[in-house]
Amino acid sequence: MTSHGSSIRIGADIGGTFTDVLVVSDQGQVWSRKVPSTPPNYEEAVLCTVEQLLGEIGRGGDAVSEVAHGTTVATNAVLERRGARTALVTTKGFRDVLELRRIRAPQLYDLFFDKSSSLIDRHLRFELDERISATGEVLVAPSDEQLQRTADQLIEHEVESVAVCLLHSYAYPEHERRLGAFLRAAIPNLPVSLSCEVLRERREYERTATTAVNAYVRPVMDQYLRSLRSGLAELEISGPLLIMQSAGGLTPEEDAARRPVYALESGPAAGVLGALYMARDLGVDNIVTFDMGGTTAKASLIEGGEIAYSQEYEVGSTLSAVNRLVGGAGELIRAATIDIAEVSAGGGSIAYLDRARGLRVGPRSAGSIPGPVCYQRGGTEPTLTDANVVLGYIRSGQLADGQVSIDEEAARKSIHDAIAKPLGIDLLEAAEGIHRIANARTMRALREVSTQRGRDPRQFSLLAFGGSGPIHAANLSIELRTQQVIIPAMPGLFSAVGLLCSGVEHHAVRSCRLSGQAMCAAPISELQDEMRTEMFAQFGREGYSSDQITWITSADMRFRGQTSEIRIRVEDEPISPATVERLCTAFGDEHERTYGHRSDPHNPLEVVAVRLIGRAGAFEGTLRIEPSPPSIRGSSSRDAYFGSQWGQVNTPVIDRRDLNEATRGPLLIDEYDTTIVIPPMMTANVDMKGNVIMSND
Amino acid sequence: MTDPITRELIQNALACAANEMAMGLYRTAYSTIVRDALDFSTSLCNAEGEMIGQGVTIPLHLGAIPYAMETLFNKFGDSMEPGDIFILNDPFDGGMHLPDIFIVRPIFCGERRVAFAVSTAHHLDVGGRLPGSSACDNTEIFQDGIRIPWLKLYHRGEPDQAIFTLLEANIRVPKLTMGDLRAQLAACHMGDRAIHEIIDRYGEETFITCCDDLIEYTERLVRAEIAAWPDGTSTFTDYMDSDGCDGPPVKIQVTITVQGDTLTADFTGTDPQVRGAINSTLSYTASVVAFCVRCVLHEDVPSTAGIFRPLRVIAPAGTVVNGQMPAASSMRGVTGFRKVDAVFGALAALMPDRVLAAGEGGNSLVIFGGTDENRESYVYYELLSGTWGARPDRDGNDGLCNPANVASNIPIEEGECNYPIRILRYGLRCDTGGPGQFRGGMAIEREWQLLKGSATLTIRSDRRDHLPYGLSGGKPGSPSINILRHHSGERILPVMVSTTINEGERIYHSQAGGGGWGDPLARSAAEVADDVRNDRVSCEAASQEHGVVLDESTFEVDASATSDLRQRMQAKRNE
Repeated sequence: MTSHGSSIRIGADIGGTFTDVLVVSDQGQVWSRKVPSTPPNYEEAVLCTVEQLLGEIGRGGDAVSEVAHGTTVATNAVLERRGARTALVTTKGFRDVLELRRIRAPQLYDLFFDKSSSLIDRHLRFELDERISATGEVLVAPSDEQLQRTADQLIEHEVESVAVCLLHSYAYPEHERRLGAFLRAAIPNLPVSLSCEVLRERREYERTATTAVNAYVRPVMDQYLRSLRSGLAELEISGPLLIMQSAGGLTPEEDAARRPVYALESGPAAGVLGALYMARDLGVDNIVTFDMGGTTAKASLIEGGEIAYSQEYEVGSTLSAVNRLVGGAGELIRAATIDIAEVSAGGGSIAYLDRARGLRVGPRSAGSIPGPVCYQRGGTEPTLTDANVVLGYIRSGQLADGQVSIDEEAARKSIHDAIAKPLGIDLLEAAEGIHRIANARTMRALREVSTQRGRDPRQFSLLAFGGSGPIHAANLSIELRTQQVIIPAMPGLFSAVGLLCSGVEHHAVRSCRLSGQAMCAAPISELQDEMRTEMFAQFGREGYSSDQITWITSADMRFRGQTSEIRIRVEDEPISPATVERLCTAFGDEHERTYGHRSDPHNPLEVVAVRLIGRAGAFEGTLRIEPSPPSIRGSSSRDAYFGSQWGQVNTPVIDRRDLNEATRGPLLIDEYDTTIVIPPMMTANVDMKGNVIMSND
Repeated sequence: MTDPITRELIQNALACAANEMAMGLYRTAYSTIVRDALDFSTSLCNAEGEMIGQGVTIPLHLGAIPYAMETLFNKFGDSMEPGDIFILNDPFDGGMHLPDIFIVRPIFCGERRVAFAVSTAHHLDVGGRLPGSSACDNTEIFQDGIRIPWLKLYHRGEPDQAIFTLLEANIRVPKLTMGDLRAQLAACHMGDRAIHEIIDRYGEETFITCCDDLIEYTERLVRAEIAAWPDGTSTFTDYMDSDGCDGPPVKIQVTITVQGDTLTADFTGTDPQVRGAINSTLSYTASVVAFCVRCVLHEDVPSTAGIFRPLRVIAPAGTVVNGQMPAASSMRGVTGFRKVDAVFGALAALMPDRVLAAGEGGNSLVIFGGTDENRESYVYYELLSGTWGARPDRDGNDGLCNPANVASNIPIEEGECNYPIRILRYGLRCDTGGPGQFRGGMAIEREWQLLKGSATLTIRSDRRDHLPYGLSGGKPGSPSINILRHHSGERILPVMVSTTINEGERIYHSQAGGGGWGDPLARSAAEVADDVRNDRVSCEAASQEHGVVLDESTFEVDASATSDLRQRMQAKRNE
């Protein structure tokens, strides 16, 4: 396999367990590799694999025009508390804002809950004697001695990174900028993260936390990107290195090193972008993505070909999938991110009986160590994967190039002993119960992004990936009533595909409070211009000209006094009084659609923030992805159980490529590391691109 | 009987539906109390009005449903029709206190009633004597606000406009309150839709049988745990510093008896109902007991009526835990928190490894009410919370809302942008957490300045004279304080007070610190040093309370001096 002359692009996605690398030629031809990740030197797996793939296709590093990269380095640094020794400078009287957070506790009825520790110790949080009022009046200006004293404190405590967040700096950043300039001059090698440069939004805790996390991971990210860059240089790759951001666009390495907080959710974002690419490629506008792995299930929404965003999320907690209403599990980050709902349900979820002999599945997980009983790595409690093995959905024997070996007998015994026997039910019934209860938990995530937002699933397709996604997708689709199920070709390399299909993207926001007379075209336009000027300069530095940039403006709106905002797209250019009227109508419509009521039409509306997204250089071609063959050919049929209605059925097992016409289930398609389950009431087919499409007839 | 798998599936669907209702209500609400204190709840009940699911919302609403539904059935049991919606806030007709408005929507399949959707929310204002409809020194319910006994707000889908008109005329901030009512109605509508989806999927009969099974299953789960506890009886007494009108302390006494698989909480011995607005209903007392029991269970149990069945609550009528007409109750939250402290205190003697020392005493409320430059009324409702007592194996949390609550704080920048208020400090105070082998959480302080005009100022705080208790030798947390500061000086305000604050004046409030757990001399010297380094404990307290001697600049522990000091302190104790 060779690729001559033309340039090639590389997509590399690092996950907790695996690193995926894709190489794509100008013609859209794709070569791929999945290898184990190499913590703590994550870049090694990427560099090694890139070198191998380049060798195999007979090309040198100089042919690489671009490397797009998704990484969990920053998130892991927060989770494992391996960030830099970081200090915070804040307004006098408020050094505990970071620690107090919003005082929310994520779990009810748990007296032994421990709040996750603050990223910055109390003795490294310094107060500056300064104050600006809510209306911009300088109440106390910081003296030069004060600034010097702050610099001295930072030096004395040998801090490696500093975050600065002063009250009301989202609107009046003068004091912050003054301190920033002073510190940058006084301590040249110290990375200084100013809240007004990281996040121009009202709410001191959220702004402080976002800035603090940024400062905390900045030296780690910087170091990592330097290593990666120097490794790439050794391979003679000098094209731009672009990093996936949480909101789904790429950004140059310099920007990611300076504002790593925007790249925390790099990995999950890449997966959704892979789905977005697929959606466009298939001509499907509306998709619910569904990614189910070993410990969690994640869902997100693509509507009208656009990703759904969330404005905040929590990091740094070992709790996954906590209730969104309550919150408080970690630091709250106010940064645009792809809206992904998560529940703790995955292949490793443990099934058990409670004291009243109720069957429960999760949230405890056997994870990958010790893992499900059938993996024979020391797991003793039955898991969802064990149930799927008993049901015949997952084949026994070797999986994923022999990295996992499945012992069906062990799975059967564990479910029999722990569940079926004590409940006095049949083994298959018990296994199916576990499967369905896990589905019920998973439905929470799927509903959260769809029906809970007033979206009708019948207008959506379910796109499933991840190790357990294709096993559960069909039944979930029936329950959610989506149009169809799509199992993409190479579901395991999905995130890397997402990387290759994304362009450079920047996000900006300005808080405001426009209502009544003030809610008019001029101030919105002004904020838009201000952000556009800044962003345009950045695009310019990255080598993009104005005709390559697409702008998307939106307004966060609500009824005055209301709790949360709805984001409304501003379609017009330039913004006129009619624009504002259309915004109001669109807000009313969206409010009714999402919440089922319009509120009092006489209640005044307000705009609390204006947002701008700039996009450039998105990939517009098509990738030619060959489905990878199953590593080991199994038998051509096996027994699988499809509930009491169908019972146990001897089910044909085929390869994806053997499916050349619409075929009615039951059917199993064994893949590299998963199985696509097509139950009796579904019909499956494969499209030209190798995607399996299932629908309920 | 439904099979255990179907039951689990339906339970999941119900919990999910109740959470969706909660999320919908939260996102469209106007009340800052809903937004920041999450003081609301959403529930689903079976056709008989027994709870079968609740959103992850305020725990102390859990017990309200049985009492509210009982009075609703007494009044409208025979005349509920599809499309009807009921409203209530009167504590003497099944409600809790006037700010909490209940909206109940019976759900029908055809003409057969199959379930109820319920939402309850704390409204910013429901009229009455002072802005916010909450004042500790209200002395009868009529001062708390407008009473709404059970009324039919919608009849067969048609609103009763007279009720809306009457409410709007009696409320200071009608736009916000009516907006919140609409959010509650929408939440109930979502509940209705969700129940129909469940019935479509599993069938009407299965659903109805399953609801009963679910309640029985919950009961079995709770009984199985209680049965594993040692039998025994324990009495605990705690106090509130004031009756709400600057009067004497108020005693809360509870005797917990565990016998077999049942638990009895007997509040006999508690003081009679008081003049001020801190009297609570029996339903609130029952909520407290269920909450505390749920906290000491190992297993997570579904939120259904089954939780209450193994519990017996005795609260004599006419006491502060079961107030009778015309007792005022708008500020009864503090009584709830103190009941929680008392029940945990009693449980600590029976199960010392499962209970925590007392926290800050629950939310402090600081409410400013006035009119802005456009002569529009404003109510600025601040809630402080965030200090846990120490646990049998770890410190109390610093800056985490009381476990009996799901509150949040109000961002300083939001408060300052929306109200004529400036916040001068907000943080944790050194040397406030009760010393112990495990330290109590640190007290939280905040200071406000009124920038324009004058305003009514209402404060509900506590734990100044009767401190948060420590356990197993841990010491109590530090006392709370309220200070009004003006140009010519300052004065201390009572724990519970309504007064006036003028332009430029400042009000400082510090909550109490959390109680400690275990002997302070048993705390590891390294942990004490870490607390000193981080300004959580002073050098003096390190030596006086913990017998730990440190270098004041490097925070290094002087091991031999520490050992000597600890020995001397131990010897002194034994004298």
